[in-house]
Amino acid sequence: MRRYETIVILDPDLSEENRTAFSDRVKEIIPKFEGVLLTEDVWGNRRLAYEINKKPRGFYIRYDYCGLGALVNELERSFRIDDRVMRYMTVVLDKDADLDSLLAEMKSSDQPTAAEEKAPETKTETEKKQAEEPAQESAARSEAAEPDSEPEAAAKTPAGDTETIKEDE
Amino acid sequence: MAAKAKRPTRRRRRRIYHRRKVCRFCADSSLVIDYKEPRALKYFITERGKIIPRRITGTCAKHQRALTLAIKRARIVALLPFVGTIEA
Repeated sequence: MRRYETIVILDPDLSEENRTAFSDRVKEIIPKFEGVLLTEDVWGNRRLAYEINKKPRGFYIRYDYCGLGALVNELERSFRIDDRVMRYMTVVLDKDADLDSLLAEMKSSDQPTAAEEKAPETKTETEKKQAEEPAQESAARSEAAEPDSEPEAAAKTPAGDTETIKEDE
Repeated sequence: MAAKAKRPTRRRRRRIYHRRKVCRFCADSSLVIDYKEPRALKYFITERGKIIPRRITGTCAKHQRALTLAIKRARIVALLPFVGTIEA
């Protein structure tokens, strides 16, 4: 599976139902080609840097999805036919995306328990440094235990986070 | 250049000031080059919309490549102009 990102610029003068009809169509095509839509990001009406079809504004939508080349071909083909689409661009984000882990990540980011995923590695890595930096160790611990219940723990999390980044490098 | 600085010859007396420019993206790894952020990319284009060479901005080769790609992508989706107006 590959992870793609498509930005579509729609006609700004479209009605609301016309716009939802368009996004429904996209959501229809994606599963048909065994793709999975991760996020639909509606940016809304924005000023364009230059006029497209004599229009100074455009309605931006960003789709983040996993799929294969055939899906992209089909999507772009439909965009080319569709009058509502003024411009589109597809970019590969990841050539070898792992769908399961992505879905798990999406699920966890929806809930406040997102910190728990990071917590185990934070713990093990800080444990190595236990002797040198007991303060940061405890910070990471409290983060692992209760992500955002205590304000004190929340205040300490940045320290714990930068710590792990440093060690990763 | 370094050798010249050690023993300045009389013939070439122009003083060259070197201020070591550092790549902003190398200095701060939290900066990400993304075509979806036209405001961040604006720093690297002229008013006319041209990409500023790295000898001026000091960006390293690797990041200049990424930057160029991002600017070109941003142009396609009308986040940055192909040709900017001189007034704006």
